[in-house]
Amino acid sequence: MTSNAPHEQPNRRPWVVIVPCSGIGKTYGTVSREAAYEVTDDLRPAQTQLVALSKLVLGDETARSAVADNPAITIDGCKLACATKMVRESGGVVARDFAVLDVYRRYKQFKPQGIAELNEGGERLARALAEEIVGLVDNLIAGGEGGQNG
Amino acid sequence: MHEYLEITVDKFSFKVATDRVYSPEGVWARPEGLRIRIGLSDFLQQRSGDVAFAEIKPQGTVVALGDEVAVIETIKVNISLASPVTGKIVEVNPAMDTAPEAINQEPYGAGWLAVIEAADWETDRLQLLEPQAYFTQMKAEAEHEVKQ
Repeated sequence: MTSNAPHEQPNRRPWVVIVPCSGIGKTYGTVSREAAYEVTDDLRPAQTQLVALSKLVLGDETARSAVADNPAITIDGCKLACATKMVRESGGVVARDFAVLDVYRRYKQFKPQGIAELNEGGERLARALAEEIVGLVDNLIAGGEGGQNG
Repeated sequence: MHEYLEITVDKFSFKVATDRVYSPEGVWARPEGLRIRIGLSDFLQQRSGDVAFAEIKPQGTVVALGDEVAVIETIKVNISLASPVTGKIVEVNPAMDTAPEAINQEPYGAGWLAVIEAADWETDRLQLLEPQAYFTQMKAEAEHEVKQ
């Protein structure tokens, strides 16, 4: 967790918290994390913050504060929807929850495979998901709504 | 309202609807007059995982028993489904284009795949399993997988 967490910066515009699936050994979990890294590291590093689901599960106060104080975008790798559930249990508001399977249905040409390392389809699916998230982040920062889940 | 045979293996519960017959692979067939509605058993859908896409042969296609009638892509596998009946596909579930997750949610109801006008159902039926027989086979498979 960085020292400039959103709850420590009351004067700046709200960050958007990104919480991906923590499923290890699952292709769709890897896609969710790759998309989250792309958004938080490359595309919108100044507007977003990645919160590890495992920290919410463990009750990490900094992580809980981050999701409680800022709109969250969750990315779930399966229908258990652990990321979405944990954000809500941590007192957060889910602006939108993405399910990787639903995203894949929108980008059938990007079939994800691989676990530790995604194939090209998986990388492109993660990129497509990241771009959808970026659009939502920009909308949220501008004061808009989260839109439809999926 | 369907009646089911049910079993829980480890943390998984499986149902077998008793108003239809099954191929050994887990494709069910339910007669509706001369037409046969087909779909995936609860065990087959659970073992295969969440369905991403379901591609069913188009209406008008003639299939023989054992021919590929649909391909299901799930988060785990791609599976080719063999037709449990010989005949002509007269209806394809339109929900499969937009909401194939119905296969997971309601395998014996809204998740049906197609309706086939049977050429010789009484003969084909001899190749299929009654619910109790499929239940016994499915139970053995489920218990075997849990042990692995």
